[in-house]
Amino acid sequence: MAERIKEHPILGIPEKGTLVKFTFDGKEMEGFEGEPIAAALKAAGVMVHRYTKKEHKPRGIFCAIGRCTDCVMIVNGVPNVRTCITPLKEGIVVQTQYGVSAEPFKQ
Amino acid sequence: MNAVNDRSRDIGPFIPGTDDDILICRCEEITKGEIRKAVHDGMWTMTEIRRYLRTGMGLCQGQTCAKLVKAIVAKELGISPAELEPATSRVPMRPIEMRIFANELADKKEDGQDGK
Amino acid sequence: MKRYDLIIVGAGPSGLCAAIEAAKRGLNTVVFDENEKPGGQLFKQIHKFFGSKEHRAKVRGFVIGRQLLDEADRAGVKVVLNATVIGLYQDKEIVVKIGDGIEHYKGDAIIIATGAAENMVTFPGWTLPGVIGAGAAQTMMNLHGVLPGKKVLMLGSGNVGLVVSFQLMQCGCEVTALVDAAPRVGGYGVHAAKIARTGVPFYLSHTIVRAEGEECVTGVVIAEIDSHFQFIPGTEKHFDVDTICLAVGLSPMSQLLKMAGCKMEDNPKRGGQVPVCDEYGRTSLPGVFVAGDVSGIEEASSAMIEGKMAGIAAAEYLGYIEEEELKKELVSLEDALNGLRQGMFAPENRGKRIETTEEGIAVSENLLEHGFITEEEIERFPGITHKAGIHPVMECTQNIPCNPCQDACPKGCISIGDKITSLPVVVDGSQCINCGMCVASCSGQAIFLVEEDCGDGTALVTLPYEFLPLPEDGTKGKGLGRNGEPVCDAQVVSVKNNLAYDKTPLLTIKVPKEYAMKARFFKAL
Repeated sequence: MAERIKEHPILGIPEKGTLVKFTFDGKEMEGFEGEPIAAALKAAGVMVHRYTKKEHKPRGIFCAIGRCTDCVMIVNGVPNVRTCITPLKEGIVVQTQYGVSAEPFKQ
Repeated sequence: MNAVNDRSRDIGPFIPGTDDDILICRCEEITKGEIRKAVHDGMWTMTEIRRYLRTGMGLCQGQTCAKLVKAIVAKELGISPAELEPATSRVPMRPIEMRIFANELADKKEDGQDGK
Repeated sequence: MKRYDLIIVGAGPSGLCAAIEAAKRGLNTVVFDENEKPGGQLFKQIHKFFGSKEHRAKVRGFVIGRQLLDEADRAGVKVVLNATVIGLYQDKEIVVKIGDGIEHYKGDAIIIATGAAENMVTFPGWTLPGVIGAGAAQTMMNLHGVLPGKKVLMLGSGNVGLVVSFQLMQCGCEVTALVDAAPRVGGYGVHAAKIARTGVPFYLSHTIVRAEGEECVTGVVIAEIDSHFQFIPGTEKHFDVDTICLAVGLSPMSQLLKMAGCKMEDNPKRGGQVPVCDEYGRTSLPGVFVAGDVSGIEEASSAMIEGKMAGIAAAEYLGYIEEEELKKELVSLEDALNGLRQGMFAPENRGKRIETTEEGIAVSENLLEHGFITEEEIERFPGITHKAGIHPVMECTQNIPCNPCQDACPKGCISIGDKITSLPVVVDGSQCINCGMCVASCSGQAIFLVEEDCGDGTALVTLPYEFLPLPEDGTKGKGLGRNGEPVCDAQVVSVKNNLAYDKTPLLTIKVPKEYAMKARFFKAL
């Protein structure tokens, strides 16, 4: 889906930190250290961050500044982490959140 | 008398609408129909609606839906949204874990702990 | 509990300006901001600002952000980041979440500069991943270097919707359509025109029927609405998009003030719930001040001036300066603020329909309804003149507070006069030297250099081109009209990109001379 901006007419070439590895639902992924987890996921084409508790509907990035809490996921076992303002670190474990759990809903 | 306080006013019956199933409060998953119904159940203030349905009581604390809910309630009451007092603002303004809320850094320093 | 002379909540443009002014006058000042980085929304603003020199006009938002941080640093302002103010009490005590704990602070004066939050609209599918706020798009592309999507539909034609649409194209996204329920474009016409001429269609009096997709957005349906905002059957249009961007206004984030017991009002002209305050930001609570969007939605330029006012007013409140000094300082700031609050888009004109300019010229209806001015309409504006040789053509048709073009021309070819909102005119008898400074300095990208007849049946048009890839000399393509439709063959004959242009490269294209006043954008083949 999405990708990274290689060169920008006004901002030039984005300055990024070190490339680090992390996992998303067990799958190994790469992103830049210090960027929001949501940015790394978006660049990798991940759109769905969680499924809601009542209606089991998908949600993803909405406000991207930590206000709306739609992008929350399970990070290192902790639920409801706002991925749009939580910096990416080497080796973190990111999981899709189902309700408030990492366990997918039983159909 | 303020139209919201005037409980003798007849706002008519609840009439189902075609867009009643649209989600308004994203966090607590409350629909437009539920909000409209709540007004007819007698919840005329933003605070009452919030306590009755939990709109704006989820993780985001009403950042996204407060204005939307207000517009729906006002329309149902036949008044301008400006006439509706917003729900109470209180501490904490942002979602916060209880372990952090109770962690007074100054106390810890005085006790000789490092605050961790 | 720690004490400061002045506590400021929010390190955006108004908060930082307030802090700088207060610290310069000797107040022990701290600024708390819940974000990881200071500057508020300034670092997401990559366009050149409007206004005049005193408002930092023609400087890009993120550069202003850097300047403010430097000034704050030099003034000795302490900025605490990742510090969320979760409570404000009547006796000016605040509770701040810092890291994993809570700290209490007491300020002898407090300035609330918390800014605004985005409004939203609902439609079936609005919770799908891929429906995002305009602010989210800016954050992703301009701060994190990630494309918000590939094909984007923008809802909202206010300045935010227009500016973000342009930014989306600058980073390589396709803007499929710009949609607004209102019958007329809400933002500056120049912002609309620079999008329309690239070929983005405008759908006014339209809104979203539904977003399509199961797991994320795969398409959108829009339809026309009548004057009662009801869909008109049979007008539905479908677009394949992966992103729907919402730019439907802002509301002041004033909850802290309400919590503290400030007298509040619901004021639609200010954007919603705002504290009752005087022009210097003094609220009903002595020692509690406000500045910026939290007291009424405006531009960053006015937020900066309001911040300065509140900072100086706080200094006087605490006895650091005399009342005479306060009055003296506020007079010049008031002038600067009034300068920005003039013209068609002044707060007092919000919601009003303006039919003629201050000069008495009928405004372009096409600009308002479709985003571009027609060839017939453009000729009636004073910035359009015809003469032999190269000369500026200023397609500036609305009274907005902005005058960098008049300072930019080293030959004095352009005049706006004393009234900052006046439309620019070409000075009689002046000689254009083709330096391009006016083109590059126009924040609305509305100035072109035109040589209408080169003597060989061709004409030259120089236009601003802030996109990548930058065409090279000799590139062949099409000249696009103001509506984005190809009108003629065109060839790039010069690409200038010097430092003084501040990243607004200028393309000069050669077109058949009949198209000198028609071709306004270039598309390579």
